[in-house]
Amino acid sequence: MTGLSLKNICKSFGDLEVIRNVNLSIDPGELVVFVGPSGCGKSTLLRMIAGLEDITSGEFWIGDKRADHLPASERDIAMVFQSYALYPHMTLAENIGFPLKLAKLPAGKIRQKVKTIADTLHLDELLDRKPGNISGGQRQRVAIGRALARDPKVILLDEPLSNLDAALRLEMRAELARLHKQLASTMIYVTHDQVEAMTLADRIVIFDKGEIAQIGSPLDLYNRPANTFVAEFIGSPKMNLFPASLHQTDRNKAKIRLKNTTYDLDTDGLTGDILDTAITKNRGETIKLGIRPEHLHFSSEGGLRGEIRNIEHLGSDTYIHIETEAKADVVVRSNGISALRNGETVGLIPGPGMGHIFDQQGIRVT
Amino acid sequence: MIRFSRTATAWLLLTPMMTIIIGVVGYPLIKTVYYSFTAAHLAAPGTTDSWIGLKNYIKALGNSQFLDSISNTSYFVCVSVSAEIILGVLVALLLNQKFHGRTLLRALLILPLALPTVVNAMMWRLIYAPDFGALNALLTQIGLIESYRSWLGDPDLALSMVAIADVWKNFPLVALITLAALQSISKDLIEAATLDGASAWQRFWNVVFPAILAPVSVALVLRTIEAFKVFDIVYVMTRGGPADSTKTVSFHVYQEAFAYMRIGSGASYALIVVLISSFLIATYMWLLKKQGNTA
Ligand SMILES: Nc1ncnc2c1ncn2[C@@H]1O[C@H](COP(=O)(O)OP(=O)(O)OP(=O)(O)O)[C@@H](O)[C@H]1O
Ligand SMILES: [Mg+2]
Repeated sequence: MTGLSLKNICKSFGDLEVIRNVNLSIDPGELVVFVGPSGCGKSTLLRMIAGLEDITSGEFWIGDKRADHLPASERDIAMVFQSYALYPHMTLAENIGFPLKLAKLPAGKIRQKVKTIADTLHLDELLDRKPGNISGGQRQRVAIGRALARDPKVILLDEPLSNLDAALRLEMRAELARLHKQLASTMIYVTHDQVEAMTLADRIVIFDKGEIAQIGSPLDLYNRPANTFVAEFIGSPKMNLFPASLHQTDRNKAKIRLKNTTYDLDTDGLTGDILDTAITKNRGETIKLGIRPEHLHFSSEGGLRGEIRNIEHLGSDTYIHIETEAKADVVVRSNGISALRNGETVGLIPGPGMGHIFDQQGIRVT
Repeated sequence: MIRFSRTATAWLLLTPMMTIIIGVVGYPLIKTVYYSFTAAHLAAPGTTDSWIGLKNYIKALGNSQFLDSISNTSYFVCVSVSAEIILGVLVALLLNQKFHGRTLLRALLILPLALPTVVNAMMWRLIYAPDFGALNALLTQIGLIESYRSWLGDPDLALSMVAIADVWKNFPLVALITLAALQSISKDLIEAATLDGASAWQRFWNVVFPAILAPVSVALVLRTIEAFKVFDIVYVMTRGGPADSTKTVSFHVYQEAFAYMRIGSGASYALIVVLISSFLIATYMWLLKKQGNTA
């Protein structure tokens, strides 16, 4: 168990700047999840941590040891590849035991260790097979097993579940969570599935175009997104962002008026914590008011009026798309099966304390 | 319209091909087998029918020149094929690295393959030429030898020199096959091995080598069979000389049948060569199959 720390890490491929100024420290035993849209540099950062890619500038520390120039084989970091990267000509036992064989452990020890790992991962029956003859989920487990073999300080997982079907993904997710608890090893997990991120992570790091958009616990990110990027990225369906403007009414009070409407909202009722400096700074400005689909409620009178355009039934929930003056497509998530119909006019009211205010640059106003 | 069953259609479509194959391959083959039991002679047409049983074969197996040619051929096969494999694999590994000019080098690799054997043989004859050859000039200039030598005139050297010319022409085939196999190895596998703690050599031995083993074996089979039949390069460069030191089995067959015009005994030699070739092919097929089962 070792912590990692990244200081001002940058990475360029030629002229292309892929990672910009990443600062991050990971505690021993922590499971950190990297999320972000495709191409934002998650894999690249992971590969730099593993030592498969050079760091263009910045410092990388493993525990209290500077590691930027340490070759991959000396970092004691294991990685699970998205493609699994199992050695096709070796049996599963040989695959899992390969790092141990390279470490020159005696054959008896290797067999024993492989057996233990196979037990944990329910692979004991398959050890004599080759990777070509097993299922995707089993391959996944072998790849994890190989990563565990050496008891590495840190385990990196790059979208390890993305090749599995939904049911298997759920099962493996639970298994990974269990493994992490059992091993208490430091793990970095890359995914672009926010459910995986929310359920597995101690902390989530959200990347946007090679920069960290926010670091925090899953609920932090959900409750207090630092900017509109995070606000829209976490949560499903994504947060509704209303263009609006801020008007001071009293010394410590302000009202938000949604664009194109005469609908006003009280800021303190909405967020509970608007400071007067923020009000002063953004007074009269166009801002963005963010409200999650699950935090909008219907009212027969008053509220933001709009017409229902589309209803998506998921069984457990219903997503209702509403066209309003303020925003063309407002999504409301309501529990269970909704009796509403297309074409109906409804009023929308945000739950108290459930609004998020972002300034013109999309930064959270607190 | 007349309708045929699938089988009938298949036979119908195959018939023209089969006719040609039987005419071009089958008939001469049977004729050769027949001749091998006769004392047929090209210059004496009447002798074709004189059946002499196994005499040709008995004579062939006791013929020291023929046995020498078998040992010459074996030497040629071993030296040229192993050199082609080693050189081919090394060059492929090199060309699989990223560097400037790699594409150009890969293209150049095809060149020797594209050269007709006869042209290649002529070229190397010029390189080896005792009085004005490039090899002599090069080796004297860098001081490896003191005076010009006749590379193809020395019975101890000639066969090796022919093998070198053959290697130069044929190693690109091995290199290309290996390169294709190398490119199909996923980068993830190499990186996974790196993270598992494998050194460059261990990565080669545990990841790369198993992946190229099957394709390289195929190249080995192809090259061995080809090399065993070697004729044209010998014909152009040395005509089997000096002192029969480069006489290979094919060349022996050629001499017997067409230079000495003893078609009957030539045929028996040819069939012995075919037998040895078939044995080689069978061995390799067996090896390949065994490998396919374990992969
Ligand atoms: N070897 C390379 N050379 C040049 N550009 C690269 C290289 N590797 C990655 N990139 C670029 O760096 C950016 C980040 O790539 P990266 O693979 O880290 O993204 P990612 O966040 O892992 O995306 P995904 O979720 O699709 O896996 C991309 O724009 C990619 O094109
Ligand atoms: Mg990636």
